[in-house]
Amino acid sequence: MRCNNSTETMGDGNNTSGRGIAANNTTSSSNSEKPEWLHQYNLLGKIGEGTYGLVFLARIKSPTNRGKCIAIKKFKQSKDGDGVSPTAIREIMLLREISHENVVKLVNVHINHADMSLYLAFDYAEYDLYEIIRHHRDKVTHAINQYTVKSLLWQLLNGLNYLHSNWIIHRDLKPSNILVMGDGDEQGVVKIADFGLARIYQAPLKPLSENGVVVTIWYRAPELLLGAKHYTSAVDMWAVGCIFAELLTLKPLFQGAEAKSTPNPFQLDQLDKIFKILGHPTLEKWPTLVNLPHWQSDMQHIQAHKYDNAGLHSFVHLSAKSPAFDLLSKMLEYDPQKRITAAQALEHEYFRIEPLPGRNALVPSQHGEKIVNYPTRPVDQNTDFEGTTSIQPSQPVSSGNAVAGNMGGAHSGRNGSVNRPVPPPPMQRMPQGMMAYNFPSQAGVGGGMNPGGMPMQRNLAAQPHQQQQLRRKDPGMGMTGYPPQQKSRRL
Amino acid sequence: MADFQTSTHKAKWIFSPQELVEKYKAANQRAIQTLDKYGTTQMEVDADGSLSYPESIARDNADKHPRPKPLNIEEEQFMRVFYENKLREVCSAFYFPNKIQATALIYFKRFYLQWSVMEHQPKHIMLTCVYAACKIEENHVSAEELGKGISQDHQMILNYEMIVYQSLEFDLIVYAPYRSVEGFVNDMEEYCGAKDEENLILKDLQETARMEVDKIMLTDAPHLFPPGQLALAALRSANEKHRVLNFEGYLKSILTRQNLEHTISQLIESLNSIDTWVSKYKFPTEKDMKHINRKLKSCWGHSSHDDSKKREKKRHKSHKSSNEIQN
Repeated sequence: MRCNNSTETMGDGNNTSGRGIAANNTTSSSNSEKPEWLHQYNLLGKIGEGTYGLVFLARIKSPTNRGKCIAIKKFKQSKDGDGVSPTAIREIMLLREISHENVVKLVNVHINHADMSLYLAFDYAEYDLYEIIRHHRDKVTHAINQYTVKSLLWQLLNGLNYLHSNWIIHRDLKPSNILVMGDGDEQGVVKIADFGLARIYQAPLKPLSENGVVVTIWYRAPELLLGAKHYTSAVDMWAVGCIFAELLTLKPLFQGAEAKSTPNPFQLDQLDKIFKILGHPTLEKWPTLVNLPHWQSDMQHIQAHKYDNAGLHSFVHLSAKSPAFDLLSKMLEYDPQKRITAAQALEHEYFRIEPLPGRNALVPSQHGEKIVNYPTRPVDQNTDFEGTTSIQPSQPVSSGNAVAGNMGGAHSGRNGSVNRPVPPPPMQRMPQGMMAYNFPSQAGVGGGMNPGGMPMQRNLAAQPHQQQQLRRKDPGMGMTGYPPQQKSRRL
Repeated sequence: MADFQTSTHKAKWIFSPQELVEKYKAANQRAIQTLDKYGTTQMEVDADGSLSYPESIARDNADKHPRPKPLNIEEEQFMRVFYENKLREVCSAFYFPNKIQATALIYFKRFYLQWSVMEHQPKHIMLTCVYAACKIEENHVSAEELGKGISQDHQMILNYEMIVYQSLEFDLIVYAPYRSVEGFVNDMEEYCGAKDEENLILKDLQETARMEVDKIMLTDAPHLFPPGQLALAALRSANEKHRVLNFEGYLKSILTRQNLEHTISQLIESLNSIDTWVSKYKFPTEKDMKHINRKLKSCWGHSSHDDSKKREKKRHKSHKSSNEIQN
């Protein structure tokens, strides 16, 4: 399903949706069990599912923002007695502090007080690298054009450089987390998404296994596979290298079979796949290798030198002397200390030669190459908001009430299953249900931002939102930071 | 996040003294209005986390008993100060890292920029802030464990958790001055070209400054000044004791090296003002607290004789246990 919003400007939804929420709140009927905030959206279907929860596609109903699409990420409720999901809280906390053209934008947070779950609303990006790569591999059977590969990579690095310079490590970069905007002002712009595992580096970082999460091992850096205790931003650069190769060949570079026996098993096959292509790591090239637990213990004889010749260039069909190969091999450097950083990569020669990277990665401006019509991320229309199949398939656009009603039904239906005491009969109950929390981007220095979205404040809630509209920056301003195209063309 | 310059902390949570006064006034006024309207000020948090006012206190009762008197702004301040100290006691009882205490304290202070202590019981909010800080700093402690440790009902913490996040506007990354103190001391080592002996004095300086920061954090100064300035004020006070370096010379060197637009006189003015906050800090006397608690109880509609006795007993108990913790 395509969410067509050609008349809309992407990236400025905050303002008007804020007004919509405020209006909703003031007119809310207290006896309704429907989640208040859902009335502003038409739910189109499910677009993603992971260990964290589900992602839904929805369209804003308000006339000022008609057709604008939003991805709503619903976090699974955490263990009973554990309160609000720590993953959700951490993702929100990081996203609140960051703002960059190549990082996904958090537009809104909705709260379902009934089960303490959080719903994060993002600007919707129609494509992701997973679908783009798959489309080329399975449908069009030709490589992604060079301009697109380079532009995607450049923007990915640009976003990552921003994160790393703000001391954030993403820790879970993979094609499905790299989104690309569809039609609109930001068409073809890369957005790094899914900050559920992201961390600030100064904080002591616990191994992923302790967070009880499962992440794909294909993009995992060798130091982590060998049991390194400390994460550095270099782990993200390794993943970028893997993604770069995958954009070139349309196949995952290191497609190891995942060992799943214990909570955090040693991933022998994954390491073997890496060694086969890059050659065996040596202490000479990677001195700190000797300190890594799994290397040291050598339980499964990984020190045994099986592979000599690095065959990376032939694997990715690049000349060993090409700038593209040079950059790739620097990203896939074994020693994390020597691995190229995002900032260095952005300065690499690869980005200074034709075709130069551009802002719209999907439509090369001057190459006259055929534009590939990528499939958008699949939308499962048979899923309702609770992740179960709904009886009534949701319908687009005009039948908003039906959708909301359907979802409301699902919501009220779960009261029985929620493992909390049933609240006593309401006394002077404030209109409850789901409350919206609309973010001012940087607004409210003394702007009377009292408990936003709190029921008692409902009629006041409109003020800060209006205020913040004035402060909002023009979304079209984000062009800065691109390589100086004119200048380098002359070179 | 390391970059304070682009943080929500800098953009949204540093106020002018006027703004701060306005905020306290607004919360106080709102609670007073509520008291007029409903005869009680306390918001009830239901098991599902939604807020509601309890039923108005029956009118016929109101004829016999005088209307409860609301807390004034100074009394609210005392109440916050009292529980900020309690918050520290709880954190040290659990041997939490200093960072958690600092984060929880900032959460607590910010929460009561949004609400009056008459609206939400500071004891519950204090515990919820500690719980939230643990979650954010990845030092997870279950609510049950936290509640048990201080014999409080942990369900309260869970009920309040979301409201705390909301009131903090989900701005959960906060900057305490402790790290800035470390940073400045490292810088001083270089600035002084310190040798081993002097390094030891600098360690003493750092330790004293840390304790100065502890004092500063209990005032309103964290709402008014960035953490770097709070740290410098603490270091300056510490330096008066240890006399390690010419502080003004050091301040000048920071300004020139960092190319900041501050003038030295502006910076010194800020540091003086932070010192003033510390010197006028007042901890409520036992008598103050008794009076305030009595008023608060009537605001919350806990007027029944038996009920208040029971509560009084409980309160004494918790006092005792926290005193024991201290000793």
